[in-house]
Order: sequence, then structure tokens, then C-alpha cells
Amino acid sequence: MNSWIEKQRYIIDFTLSSLLRRKVKNIGLLVLYTLIVFILASMMFFTHSIKREAALILKGAPEVVVQKIVAGRHDLMPIEYLDTIKKIRGVATAAPRLWGYYYDNLVKANYTLLVPPTQTTTTNISRTTVVENEPNSQSVDLTKPLYEVNGTKLESGTIIIGNGVARLRQIAKGDYMPFLSFDGNVMNLKVVDTLSAQSELVSSDLLLITEEDFRKLFGIDKQFVTDMTVVVNNPSEMPTVAAKIKKRLPQARPIIRDEILRTYESIFNWRGGMMIVIFSAAVLAFVIFAWDKASGLSAGERREIGILKAVGWETSDVIQMKFWEGAIISLTAFFSGVILAYIHVFFMGSPVFEPALKGWSALYPNFSLTPFVNIEQLTTLFFLTVLPYTVATIVPIWRAATIDPDSAMRFTGD
Amino acid sequence: MIELHGIRKVFNAGNPSEFTAINGANLQIAENQITVLKGPSGSGKTTLLSIVGCMSRPTAGRVHLNGREITSLPERFLTDIRRKTFGFIFQQPNLIKGISVLENVMLPAYPLGEKRSQLRIKALAGLDELNIGNKSHSNVEWLSGGEAQRASIVRALINNPSIIIADEPTAHLDSKLSYRFMEIIEKFKAEGKTVIITSHDPLVYDAAIVDRVITMRDGQIEV
Ligand SMILES: Nc1ncnc2c1ncn2[C@@H]1O[C@H](COP(=O)(O)OP(=O)(O)OP(=O)(O)O)[C@@H](O)[C@H]1O
Ligand SMILES: [Mg+2]
Repeated sequence: MNSWIEKQRYIIDFTLSSLLRRKVKNIGLLVLYTLIVFILASMMFFTHSIKREAALILKGAPEVVVQKIVAGRHDLMPIEYLDTIKKIRGVATAAPRLWGYYYDNLVKANYTLLVPPTQTTTTNISRTTVVENEPNSQSVDLTKPLYEVNGTKLESGTIIIGNGVARLRQIAKGDYMPFLSFDGNVMNLKVVDTLSAQSELVSSDLLLITEEDFRKLFGIDKQFVTDMTVVVNNPSEMPTVAAKIKKRLPQARPIIRDEILRTYESIFNWRGGMMIVIFSAAVLAFVIFAWDKASGLSAGERREIGILKAVGWETSDVIQMKFWEGAIISLTAFFSGVILAYIHVFFMGSPVFEPALKGWSALYPNFSLTPFVNIEQLTTLFFLTVLPYTVATIVPIWRAATIDPDSAMRFTGD
Repeated sequence: MIELHGIRKVFNAGNPSEFTAINGANLQIAENQITVLKGPSGSGKTTLLSIVGCMSRPTAGRVHLNGREITSLPERFLTDIRRKTFGFIFQQPNLIKGISVLENVMLPAYPLGEKRSQLRIKALAGLDELNIGNKSHSNVEWLSGGEAQRASIVRALINNPSIIIADEPTAHLDSKLSYRFMEIIEKFKAEGKTVIITSHDPLVYDAAIVDRVITMRDGQIEV
């Protein structure tokens, strides 16, 4: 047993020095391999985390949101709609919401300004943008209900800001933040707290503001709100209730949570579809390069195997050597690729994918995902990369079995 | 004691290129002697040597090593016998490039899983004995022809074989180095080892220390 371990150590040592002596080739190989693992792992981390964030976000979204649509465009909603909606059979409660986007020229980012509901709990608020309203932007239906305010009271002239905003503007509690209102005046609002949230995606760009300040900033009259949330008594009645709202208020557009989910999913899947393309490309590259590896032994390698066999190595020793060679390269590549991907996705905000995968990235200039790592996916990645490569390095070695040790006696010159 | 009975070796049997390299060789090689195989190029010396050294199997005939029939053994056993019993010195040094001289010399011992510290001591001692101890950490590419050959001799000896097989060992050496080689061979004999050499170098087969010269011609042993 001891000598078996010692033997493996020898073989690993020899493998390492073998790898080192073809430095350029093997480092190139390692870099390529690491790159492929890096791309695959980044994608896995990214999609998985986005999915988790999405699930978190939608968990607390209101069942139905009603907007007013004028000429296909989202418009302010008269407050009278509320009574009409409340009277519809099957509606449990309805609440108006005030929210909107504010573009900050200084940092070139959009914030979401939201008036927290005063009457009830803070959990059932959400915002909705409708994709059709913004044909040029890749904005996604996002609802953001999960922020928490640590007991700070919002008073007139104050705001509570999300982490992303704080980071971007480099401001903190106690600082003032200027806003340019609809009539060209500057409003200086004091930051009284920052939001904490389970998910960065939820609160990053969020800015809580009082109703009074909100109306002053955007010039919205008392009788208008942005949209309304509706809670129905029986979830199965949701489509019926939505239809009734539509009938009573022809300009209203009820959006059911499941619909948001679908929109989100379809966009996400489209992105997912793009990822599949990248994924397949990476896997293809990998297969080609594994195949290249598998397809032959160079003359130098054959010669070396001949020498090893001549000096007393068995075919199985040579196979073990090649196994270690494959294992060392693929494990190194796997771990460095995964670690780099982790840093890339969770610490650096996926700069490589950002333009392609995160249409809403303009909203999240400093976007960072909460790390969610799925062991199952990592295992899959492991079996997709380490295993085939290791096998691919061993396979041509079966042919090495046909190299007779006496071939070493017939090598002439170099 | 090595005994060969009716050895035949046919290459590419059944092909138009079929070639009988050895045609019915019978031979006994005594222990603790220096035996030289000589003969014209292509007469089958190397082929015979590789059969004796368990590197390849004869097409027909039997090989006995110390009374044990070895031709029919499976590869694993042959490898085991080869690395424990035989040390090979090739016509070319056949060192592996890119790794140090020391590593090259230790290679045959790796599959045996010997303790590293002991193996190192043994390898360094062997290199010292042939005056290349100072090259132990050099890359093999930097060695001169004679140094490379001495390194390959140390490698052949690392598992302390009882039989040493050398194929044209002096082919690439000048006469000074060739004499040096014969001195090393003499020492092997003094240590009780059996030595089998192929050569067409008179410096080898006419040397006083050689116990027996066997001449081969067209795949047969001349008597
Ligand atoms: N693998 C092979 N396939 C076909 N023919 C071979 C093979 N190996 C050797 N031969 C042939 O067998 C014959 C004997 O070869 P061998 O190498 O034993 O000769 P040798 O006596 O060692 O010659 P030299 O003195 O030139 O080294 C040669 O004609 C050679 O071409
Ligand atoms: Mg020869």
C-alpha cells in the first residue's frame, strides 16, 4: 500500500515535470481550458442567481396591478378609478401607488422613485414597468416588494435610498441629494437612511420618497396616481376580475402577476436562449479540443512511452501517468475557471456578459448579484469538463499499449 | 543462465514485407560472463537482444531464464522480470528530454514505489561513480554524448539488475570513452553481473575481458 502511494507520487511528479517541459503548449492548453470553464461557470452562476433573485422578487409582488393606458402608452391614473375597482365583486382590497423613474444625468442612471404606502404593511408594494411602453429599452417587468426600512420615518424633504444609489452617488445618511423637478427647480432632499434588502436587485436603484415630494418633483396632481394594486379574494378568479376591470374601465390595463412572471420568463428565456448558444459554443470548443487531444500521440510522446516501457514501466503505469496528466490539467482549469467565474459574477458584476445578458444594466450600474451557488450545477459542469478531458487524455494511450518496448532499441538520432 | 531454443522472429508475418530476422537460434549464455554478439548489419543482433531482454516475444521457440520458461508469460510478468533482472543500455542514450539527469536515472524505479530518499541516494551515488554527479540537476539536452551515455548506464543500473544488456554501446563514443566503457563493463563482471553486448567494434569484441564472442549471420548463429 505504502509503495503504491509512493509510486503514485513518483508518477505525479514525473507528470508535473513532463507538463512543465512543454510549458508553452500546456499553459496555452490550460488557459484555453480555464477560459471555457470560466465562461460556462459564469453563465451558470449568473443564470442561477438571476433566477433566484427573480423568484424572490415575484414572491411578494401584488396579484394584480392596474394601469391606465392611453393610445397604448402608460398614463397617470385618476384616483376615482380606485372606487370603481373596489366595488367590483371579488376584489378584496385595492390601493393606489405612486412611483416613477428618475434619470440622473450626473451618473447617467435611472432610479426608481417610490412612495411607500402609508396605510398598510410595507410588504405588498411593487412597481411595474410594461415592456411595450418602452420599445427601445430592454427593461424588464420587475417588481420590487422586498425592501426593508429599519424603522426610519420618512418625512417631507427626506428620502431613503437603495445601496446602488448610495454607491453610485457616493452619498450616505445625512447627505443631501439634489433633484431637478418638472418645472426646472432644484429640490434638495436629505438622505435619512439606506435600504437593506434580501436581494440587491430589489433595492439597488430604489429611492423612497414622500407623496408630497413625489408630486412636487414630477408635477403630478393630487387626483392622479401611477397605478393601482388589487388583491382578489380568490386567486382563481383573477382572470374574471381582470376582465371585469377592463369592462368597467376601458382604459385600464390589468396586469396579473402570472403575466408578469411570463413576460419576465420569456425575456429571461430569450436571454437563456442566448446563453444556450454561448454554452453550446463553449462545449463545442471543448469537444474539438478534447478530440484533438484524443486523436493522437505525437512522435515525441510515442518515443517517450517507448523509452518508459523499455526501462520497465508497464502499460498501466503509462496510463496512470496520462491519467494524472489529464486530471492535473483539468482540475486546475476547473477550479481556476470556477473561482474566476465566481469573482467575475459576484464581485465584478459580470462585465463580460453585461451587455449581452443584462438589458437592464443601465439601471444597475453597480449591479452585484447575491451569490447563490448550486452544487448540482457545479457537479454537472465538473462532469462536462473534467471527465471528458481526462478520458480524452487516456484514450490514445490504449494505442500506446501497441508501442513495443523494443522500439526504444530502434530509435535513431533525434 | 539464459537458454534460447529454436528462436524464430518473423516481422510483418503474412505481408509482402514479411521478413525473418532470426531463423532458428539456439544459444546458452552463462552467468557472470561477458558475451559479445557480433555480425554484419541486419544479421539480427538487436532483435535477438530484445528477445533475451524480454522486450519482445519470439515468433517461435522458447527462452529460459534461470530455468524458468518466460516466453509464455503475460506482459505484466515480463515487465516485472525486465525491470528487476535486466538493465538496458541502448545504442542511443534514449534519455527523456526536459527533465533532469537525476530524474531520468530514477525513472525505472518509479513503478516499484521505492522510498524517495533512498532512491535519490542510490541515483546520486551511481552518477558520482561515473563522474557525472555534478550534472545531476542539468537538463539532459546539455549533456555531451559521453555524459549522456554514462547517464543511461546509471539508469540501467538503478534497479540493481543481474543482467546487463548493451546494444552497440560504443557506436557513438570515441576510443577513449569506449575504453572507459569497457572498464565499467569489467567492474560489472567483478560485481558478479552477466553482460551481453552487441557490437561490431573490435575494441569491444577483441577486449581481453570478453569471455565469449558469438557471430551472427542472416538471422542465425554461426558455429
Ligand atoms: N519491426 C520490424 N519490422 C520489420 N523488419 C524489422 C523490424 N525490426 C527489425 N527488422 C529487420 O530485421 C533485421 C534485423 O534487424 P536488427 O536490428 O536485429 O539487426 P542488427 O543485427 O542489430 O543490425 P545493426 O548491426 O545494423 O544494428 C533487419 O533487416 C531489420 O530491417
Ligand atoms: Mg542493431
